Amino acid sequence: MYVTWDLMANAIVAGILLGGFYAAVAVGVTIAFGMLDIVNIAHPAVMMIGAFLAYLALNTFGIDPMITMVILAGVGLAIGPFLYRGYHALIEKRGDESLQGLAFFFGILFIVEIGLVMTFGVDYRALELSYLSKTFELGAVSIPARMLIPFVVAMIMCGLCYAYLFYTFTGRTILAVAQDVEAVRLIGADPQRSKSVAFSIAIATGLVAGVLLILIQPVEPSIGREFIGRAFAVCVLGGIASITGTVTAAMILGVAETLTASLIGPSWSPAISFGLLLLTLAFRPSGIFGR
Amino acid sequence: MASELRIEGLRAGYGGVQVLYDVDMHVRAGETVALLGTNGNGKSTVIKCVTGQLVPTAGRITAVIDGTEHDLVGLRAEEVVGLGIALVPEGRRLFPKLTVEENLHLGAFREAARPKLQQGLEFCFEVFPRLAERRKQLAGSMSGGEQQMLAIARALMTQPKMLIVDEPSVGLAPILVSKTIETIGELKKRLGLTVLMAEQNFQQAVRIADRGYVLVHGKIEMHAENAEELRNNQMVRKLYLGID
Ligand SMILES: Nc1ncnc2c1ncn2[C@@H]1O[C@H](COP(=O)(O)OP(=O)(O)OP(=O)(O)O)[C@@H](O)[C@H]1O
Ligand SMILES: [Mg+2]
Repeated sequence: MYVTWDLMANAIVAGILLGGFYAAVAVGVTIAFGMLDIVNIAHPAVMMIGAFLAYLALNTFGIDPMITMVILAGVGLAIGPFLYRGYHALIEKRGDESLQGLAFFFGILFIVEIGLVMTFGVDYRALELSYLSKTFELGAVSIPARMLIPFVVAMIMCGLCYAYLFYTFTGRTILAVAQDVEAVRLIGADPQRSKSVAFSIAIATGLVAGVLLILIQPVEPSIGREFIGRAFAVCVLGGIASITGTVTAAMILGVAETLTASLIGPSWSPAISFGLLLLTLAFRPSGIFGR
Repeated sequence: MASELRIEGLRAGYGGVQVLYDVDMHVRAGETVALLGTNGNGKSTVIKCVTGQLVPTAGRITAVIDGTEHDLVGLRAEEVVGLGIALVPEGRRLFPKLTVEENLHLGAFREAARPKLQQGLEFCFEVFPRLAERRKQLAGSMSGGEQQMLAIARALMTQPKMLIVDEPSVGLAPILVSKTIETIGELKKRLGLTVLMAEQNFQQAVRIADRGYVLVHGKIEMHAENAEELRNNQMVRKLYLGID
């Protein structure tokens, strides 16, 4: 195969844009799993709900997905506390979190998928929007709008999460609750509330990531599964509880995948995520940005 | 304004095993009271009851903060802190993977403390210049002495009226023990705090204590109205000074 600089440049830019989307998917996992120890493998199911609601909103009510995602973020934050309360009552309160939590979320993943299949069928659905098919040319590099928009939204979303966690009082307790629940009480904060807020943020980001996915590509109910492995790989690669680490790791993964796809072949790219994950676990178990 | 603590007929234990037997204590406004006792006599258990970490089986715990009386039994730990009662806990309980500065910021969580965040930081850095030097360092990677400073500083960030300290001397070199105790005495004066301090290190504790209680097997075996009385007491001499 003949490799040109143009090809490389295009692959790298495409990888960074794709990485931005991966960051949007993984940031919720970083918060729920990395900070709260909640193994939410149903995160992709939340995404799929977001994706199909965006489809429904556009095709039934004519609501633009950019508006839908803002509404969904609000809805996620509003219903998150109730979902967390349910999870807490059923699983967390009893201890044994990881294994039972895993089974619990696996169940939810299945139920959501089946629900979506029964409502929407198994066909691929896409959003028909003229602005998504635009492409910007930057020299020899082409930047499709359907990748650029999700990238920008993802960066804004991760930036907001970062600012919330590091610059607000409740946000900071979320970082703390991961380390010592009782000590959080001793600074006068309610750890249950911190967890509830964090879980809600994770749900909100999942819904938004779903809207981003259907901007990028057509979706069918079980496609979310493709992202479970990637999201957890990014989370571990980035250092479990670090937002900046998550974003960086997502970019690395994105670039690694697009480079592999253009240099070796697309079927190799999934292997890359897990290859990177294994290498990280072997050489730097605390992740790239782990503290 | 005046803040005081009163413990009456306190009984508590763990899962059916009784540890405290009718403990009566009184910390008057502006006093430093030492709760003395060797390992396992129940000092931390008393403190856990006061700070909402353990529910007593009997007794009353009341605190007067700025002239308002509060019943502490039944409150959760975060609610007790919310009243203005800060705890420097046994084992320090810092957030090891957060920086010194992040730990201090967290201390200012409570409503009354938030607007005073900057002031609080400046005060802590003035009292503990070492923390200012290390502000970007992870709490978990600091020395024992530095961690103890940070634990005290984090408690101060809550802008407390009353400070409860559980064995500040544990795990510190003798010179640091002496310095830490002095610092607590100084802070109390500067901030007008009411202080309850659990300690095994009798010699150090009496340096700053106005009064003291000795806890033996979960019972208050004696209390002294001043440091002199504490020093001269027969039981204290036997327990701590090895003099019969
Ligand atoms: N969480 C717990 N569960 C069961 N028993 C406990 C628990 N914590 C303390 N105890 C028991 O209660 C008794 C009093 O313990 P406590 O921690 O109050 O003593 P202490 O005076 O603070 O001792 P030290 O100086 O070692 O800290 C001990 O016999 C201890 O074994
Ligand atoms: Mg103790």
